[in-house]
Amino acid sequence: MWPRRLSLVVAVGALGLAAAVAFTAGDGKATRRGVYPSDFAEGDGRSIAERACLLCHSASLVTQQAKDSTGWEKTLVQMEKWGVAMTAAEHDTLRGYLLARFGPRVKK
Amino acid sequence: MSGRREFLRALGTAGAGVLAAQALPSWARAAAAQAARSAPAPAELLVRNAWPEHFETTLDALGRSWLTRNDRFFVRSHFPAPEIDPTTYTLEVSGLVRSPLTLTLAQVRDLPTIESVHTLECAGNGRGLFKLPSTSGTQWERGAVGTAAWGGARLSILLRRAELLPEAKAVWLEAADQAPLSEVPKFLRSIPLEKAMDDTLLVHDMNGEPLSRLHGGPLRAIVPGWYGMASTKWVTKIRVEAGPSDNHFMAKGYRYVYPGEDPAAAPPVEDVKVKSVITRPLAGSTLARGKVRIQGFAWAGPAGVRMVEISTDGGKTWRPAGFMGDTAPLAWRAWATEIEVKTPATVKVMARATDGKGEAQPSQARANAAGYANNSIHVVNFRVA
Repeated sequence: MWPRRLSLVVAVGALGLAAAVAFTAGDGKATRRGVYPSDFAEGDGRSIAERACLLCHSASLVTQQAKDSTGWEKTLVQMEKWGVAMTAAEHDTLRGYLLARFGPRVKK
Repeated sequence: MSGRREFLRALGTAGAGVLAAQALPSWARAAAAQAARSAPAPAELLVRNAWPEHFETTLDALGRSWLTRNDRFFVRSHFPAPEIDPTTYTLEVSGLVRSPLTLTLAQVRDLPTIESVHTLECAGNGRGLFKLPSTSGTQWERGAVGTAAWGGARLSILLRRAELLPEAKAVWLEAADQAPLSEVPKFLRSIPLEKAMDDTLLVHDMNGEPLSRLHGGPLRAIVPGWYGMASTKWVTKIRVEAGPSDNHFMAKGYRYVYPGEDPAAAPPVEDVKVKSVITRPLAGSTLARGKVRIQGFAWAGPAGVRMVEISTDGGKTWRPAGFMGDTAPLAWRAWATEIEVKTPATVKVMARATDGKGEAQPSQARANAAGYANNSIHVVNFRVA
């Protein structure tokens, strides 16, 4: 059997390393915490979102939004103008995907 | 898990999250869970976008010092932060000048250097609190702001050295960062010549350290009193022109487009609006009854901050807080006051700053399409036990 103490050292070391990467990557020592989902959820349109959106920015810039249909349409038109290639059908599928998952907030 | 071979294989091939969830022996998961419970590191930066980097300082971290530590300072980048080799970096000054210049970083560093403390606030700070239905921007709350001692040269020194022509009216600052897609406009901002010749800086140091890549190193502009978009990071080209740029980030971006108004006539985002944040107590915290210290920072654009008041009755009455600590032109002021809470209660405290022209923070800032300059009064609820 694997000695329990060694296992603990390796396991805690691995977690510690992962934490160090998560918290200090890039620039300094400040502790960091992600706020929004960093991946696109399953669904019809996910692969288009991954292909189109991740060209220029991480998924969290999308997953933090809460836009209505007009808002998402405006965004897609702007992104296509800036060089994101998609067919008309992909455009509609992606808008539906985004609207379903990141649609308007429920007004309280 | 049958043994260490499988565990090590998992360690070598899986991410830590996967490891934690699937591959660790149950005792190791328990140990890790215990460690996480016993020593949670409070976040100092909220990652609102992983790349390009959009990092917001938590109010807890913001409230710890008048100068915001470099690694806690908010980060906002339009495009991936460029890797610039300081040994080959050059800064060009061209356009409506008699003597165009090309300087190495060493030559820029050899210019007369000053250190000047200024507060920098992202124009979108507070956008997330507007809860707009259709903006694309990062949903910042209150921490896309910070104060640093910026070390560098006055832009005016370079412009004088380049000898301005009489037609010169604006200074265009072009950045080295660019989007992965070539059709996306490059980031470029222009400022009026008067502002460029007044207090605008080209900085290579931040709080006594060389300016890091995430904060615009090796060289960025600091345009004091203006929202952060004007303080172009990774500046490589300075062009003197007869008027403002019509680049996307000038003509379309960073404009106050109010509902029902013509976007083509929308005023530009420039001077910082008066604002304050409460950094202690933190929202949702529980404090002991008795005297409770309320503190925070307040800042404004060129008009400066004149006073900060707090209210504990929903804004019916206000009483002044006192300023404390260091001061510098166009830098925030620390403020504090005490209230007495004798019995257990939920307390709602509000802070309202007023600038030198008498302009006070509104209870609700007027929403604009892109969610700029939300300087609504900060309200914090906390408990006294």
